[in-house]
Amino acid sequence: METLGIFNDVDTAARAVEELIRAGFAEDRITSLTSVPYPDGVLVKREPRSWFRWVSLAGGIVGAATGFLLSAGTSWVYPVQTGDKPIISPYPTGIITYEFAMLFAIIGAMVGMFLEMGLPPRGGRLYDPSISDGCIGVEVSVASRDEIGRAEEVMKRAGALKTISEGTV
Amino acid sequence: MSEFSGQTHGDTPAAKSAARLNDEMLSSMAPPTWRWYALAFVLGAVVAWGLYAFSYMVATDMSCTGLNRPVMWGLFIVSFVFWVGLSHSGTMVSAILRLSRAEWRRPILRAAEAMTVFSITVAGLFPIIHLGRNWTFYYLIPYPNQRGLWPNFRSALLWDAVAITTYIIGSTLFLYLGMLPDLAIARDRSSGWRRRVYAVLAMGWRGSAHEWSVYRKASTLMAALIIPVAVSVHSIVAFDFAVTLVPGWHSTIFPPYFVIGAINSGVAAVITLMIVIRKAFRLEEYLTPQHFDNMGKLLLVISLLWSYAYFVEVNITWYAHEPIEWEVFSFMANRYTPILALMILANTVLPISTLCFKRLRRSIGVMLTVSVLINVAMFIERYLIIVPTLSRKNMPFMWGSYFPSWVEISIAVAAFAGFGLLYLLFAKWFPIMAVADVRELKEREAEVRLGRAKLPADVKDEL
Repeated sequence: METLGIFNDVDTAARAVEELIRAGFAEDRITSLTSVPYPDGVLVKREPRSWFRWVSLAGGIVGAATGFLLSAGTSWVYPVQTGDKPIISPYPTGIITYEFAMLFAIIGAMVGMFLEMGLPPRGGRLYDPSISDGCIGVEVSVASRDEIGRAEEVMKRAGALKTISEGTV
Repeated sequence: MSEFSGQTHGDTPAAKSAARLNDEMLSSMAPPTWRWYALAFVLGAVVAWGLYAFSYMVATDMSCTGLNRPVMWGLFIVSFVFWVGLSHSGTMVSAILRLSRAEWRRPILRAAEAMTVFSITVAGLFPIIHLGRNWTFYYLIPYPNQRGLWPNFRSALLWDAVAITTYIIGSTLFLYLGMLPDLAIARDRSSGWRRRVYAVLAMGWRGSAHEWSVYRKASTLMAALIIPVAVSVHSIVAFDFAVTLVPGWHSTIFPPYFVIGAINSGVAAVITLMIVIRKAFRLEEYLTPQHFDNMGKLLLVISLLWSYAYFVEVNITWYAHEPIEWEVFSFMANRYTPILALMILANTVLPISTLCFKRLRRSIGVMLTVSVLINVAMFIERYLIIVPTLSRKNMPFMWGSYFPSWVEISIAVAAFAGFGLLYLLFAKWFPIMAVADVRELKEREAEVRLGRAKLPADVKDEL
């Protein structure tokens, strides 16, 4: 369960985050929703580690193997002897291997990014369209209905324009 | 009823300020005016004429073109090389500026990235148009089939197919990645079917701290990945020429020379598009003379590099005086003197003599003239690389000449109209400005008090 507070500006939202932490909500259960990125710690602290690059690397390796197998494998299966040159020509093999490696690495980066972001979400999540127009959302994950009420009260006291427990993107 | 309402949410001062920025930068997505329809109709008519010319060529055969023995590559391949070159810079400039954290890049990102996607799409059509039996183009794709055909990867045509496919997919994903937060803004400000489309494309983006953190790292990684792809694509197009034994083409300088030429052409096209977008959507506040000044400096450097590479190639040909190479060069210089002169004037003399001066770099009229003429010159350059060389290839008994037919000219002109039409549609349906990027810059330009002075807060994240 989550609850979302909508704030007019960054300062009020940051104050609400501090109040929530002071009220006993763990920081890893609080996140901000903004239409522009803010540096780490302005609203909430984020996990610095990221794993999606490994997906990109894996994509690159799979792509390189695919490209090599396609070009070198074709020459191997359908040998064309040209003078005393090698059956598997390094030049085209290198080009095809490189292009496939880059293509799969790029696709891997995108797939990995969405996987790590958890997008598209499986179910609906709290959101308010005013965030696109500059308002700041502070979302708290809670364990019970009692905690929703408590979090909403803290956020309203800190200056929330409204709080939302339903309504999804 | 489905529309892009541009409706704002929230009525507080901060929200109003951000909403106003959204309104201004998304103004291109407002319902079309009659001018928009008129332009779309004209461009569509030219594209339709090009499709007719192409259908005529398919229904008859390649004899309706000016292609002949020995000039078997004509305007289609000239257009292919030109459009690949044009595509080069959009994504590359965007990626380089992103990696170097040049803050002034933000308003020009989208225009540049979209230009790459549409120009490489147009470029990719030309080898297929040039094939002759266009309907068999799928023979290039390796898959088990009853015909027992399998592509030969030693063919440079297949290198092009693989490189261009990689670049089209890569640059489209790069464009999409940049648009992701803006698609969420468009989703929140539209209704009906447009809202549903933007909602699907935005993938449920909310702008959580985690999403932004991953997004920014992914943008940097994608920028780093797309640059070597961009360089490889035009190098591979240069290989089409350089790996042959044709005099004038078989040159080690060709790949870097092509890459420099491509960047020259692409940077000039980005400037032209910036001027058009600025005027059409009244974005003078965002695309300022400072942006043209910076792009002008970049164009000056690239023009100098192009001139250096060109004159090194020509000087060595002249000094070595190898008979067949000299024959090709002197034929080109004598037969095509006026367009050769125009090429040197527009690619070297004009940019160097104007872009050295700050006042001229900040003049929109000068920048428009210089950038358009550079692309005229780059088209001529592609023509002069291909046609004169094939006209005077090794065997004197096979020397010939070439002039494009109405079919080729129609298709080449239709390609320009098609590019314009794609761009026009894109600007109407998608944010043509990188809204979140520009707004982030505005936020970070907020002033903070330091002692007695108010200074701009300039915060950069570690990525």
